[in-house]
Amino acid sequence: KRFYSLKVAPKASASATAAKVKLSPESQDFEITKLPSGLVIASLENFSPASRIGVFIKTGSRYETTSNLGTAHLLRLASNLTTKGASSFRITRGIEAVGGSLSVHATREKMAYSVECLRDYVDTVMEYLLNVTTAPEFRPWEVADLQPQLKVDKAVALQNPQVGVLENLHAAAYKNALANPLYCPDYRVGKITSEQLHHFVQNNFTSSRMALVGIGIKHSTLKQVAEQFLNIRSGHGAPGAKAVYRGGEIRKQTGDSLVHAAIVAEGAVAGSPEANAFSVLQYVLGAGPLIKRGSNVTSKLTQGVAKATSQPFDVSAFNVNYSDSGLFGIYTISQAPNAGEVIKAALNQVKAVAQGGVTDADVTTAKNQMKANYLMSVETSKGLLNEIGSESLVSGTHTSPSAAAQKIDSVATADVVNAAKKFISGKKSMAASGDLGNTPFLDEL
Amino acid sequence: AGGGRLLDRIRKWYYNAAGFNKLGLMRDDTLHEDDDVKEALKRLPEHLYNERVFRIKRALDLSLKHQILPKDQWVKYEEDHRYLKPYLTEVIRERHEKEAWNRK
Repeated sequence: KRFYSLKVAPKASASATAAKVKLSPESQDFEITKLPSGLVIASLENFSPASRIGVFIKTGSRYETTSNLGTAHLLRLASNLTTKGASSFRITRGIEAVGGSLSVHATREKMAYSVECLRDYVDTVMEYLLNVTTAPEFRPWEVADLQPQLKVDKAVALQNPQVGVLENLHAAAYKNALANPLYCPDYRVGKITSEQLHHFVQNNFTSSRMALVGIGIKHSTLKQVAEQFLNIRSGHGAPGAKAVYRGGEIRKQTGDSLVHAAIVAEGAVAGSPEANAFSVLQYVLGAGPLIKRGSNVTSKLTQGVAKATSQPFDVSAFNVNYSDSGLFGIYTISQAPNAGEVIKAALNQVKAVAQGGVTDADVTTAKNQMKANYLMSVETSKGLLNEIGSESLVSGTHTSPSAAAQKIDSVATADVVNAAKKFISGKKSMAASGDLGNTPFLDEL
Repeated sequence: AGGGRLLDRIRKWYYNAAGFNKLGLMRDDTLHEDDDVKEALKRLPEHLYNERVFRIKRALDLSLKHQILPKDQWVKYEEDHRYLKPYLTEVIRERHEKEAWNRK
């Protein structure tokens, strides 16, 4: 991993014609292949002692319909159930015995099953990973025993008010697809059947929507495995509905003294040039503290709101991109009595940027922050795997970090201003939770 | 072939001599409920489980009254099938697997 980042760092001294140094005779660069069935295989052999392999699938809660809500959530929890090749007990014990780990990470649009283990045991864990992704059995009694876990998982997640607000935000902003919650709705717990799980897997886990990614493993090994085992279901499976933005608001009155509120407008599609502009705008406005317990000097939002109130608060820009839509806006956490001032001050700040109130220096700072954040996230093998996997799923290619950095640099100040204008003029959606007595409605903003 | 048919006739004779079919029970209704059988019963699909409960209730009622079913309602040897067997073999296989792992 260290060597990889060294390799692609801009060469400060060497002459332009210096050949790339190979770290060892068998060292490989990043390789990516697309099989005729549509499956994408990507690997990076970096000779780390631990390998990490992931199967990424273009599926998620957006592909559910109202009749099978919560299936993706249960599927997330069902990764250790019995498969055709190994019983549930054996999967758990087998992976434990070699010191590996199997985890599932899912967003609304993609699911990622990943295993990590020491290099020597890659074959063992790979077998379990393939079993889990291609041949799960979903035995009715195992599925029934798993349903209470849905409640626990949801309760643990909702401890964090942000999760609840973001679920409501998506439900308010979209009519379908992306409006589906990540966590199973309460009325569906106990009602998801083994057949629904099977259907979901049959329709969504098809070769053309999957990517097999490995770090610390040879490309030829991965390719062999993929050709032998992952060519099971061809075709595109059930198509997802196109997400339709509608703009609405959902308010959840609780007794919390802190009000969490998110106000967004439709943003950019993932991978479009607009998406880069929105991301830079996010960092211009403030995308989270860089120094713990600092005063967030570079964040325009924080500075703007600090003038409006002396109570503790937090505000940051919110930006998310999906394959056919996106959301951009602000997220505020404030004391209940002055939630209104905080939100209005934050929105005024964005208006100021939309009217041109942003300097080139601000934009450069933001770009640097964004680049640093991105590069730091791909330094860990987990972040790198995620990054390679997501990109392979979407486009079947890989952008090297230096190319990604260039893309970020190519965003002009005018693009950032345009992005802010788009937010100000776009139809807004809002989600809020807490003691909402002083929280304005959308039409009051 | 002849030997096979003889064995089959002995099986059928023994089945009828055992007599539980006269109470309307099938072979798997009469299994002793140890832990494996209890676990396998938890995995039965609902309709099979309901039928089993009905047959056992009916047999208990008959035995209380010291009666048996009329001859045309006895369970026939050919119709009796081991409905619990696949679930039971799976449960036993899983238990063996667990024990093998724990021994290592």
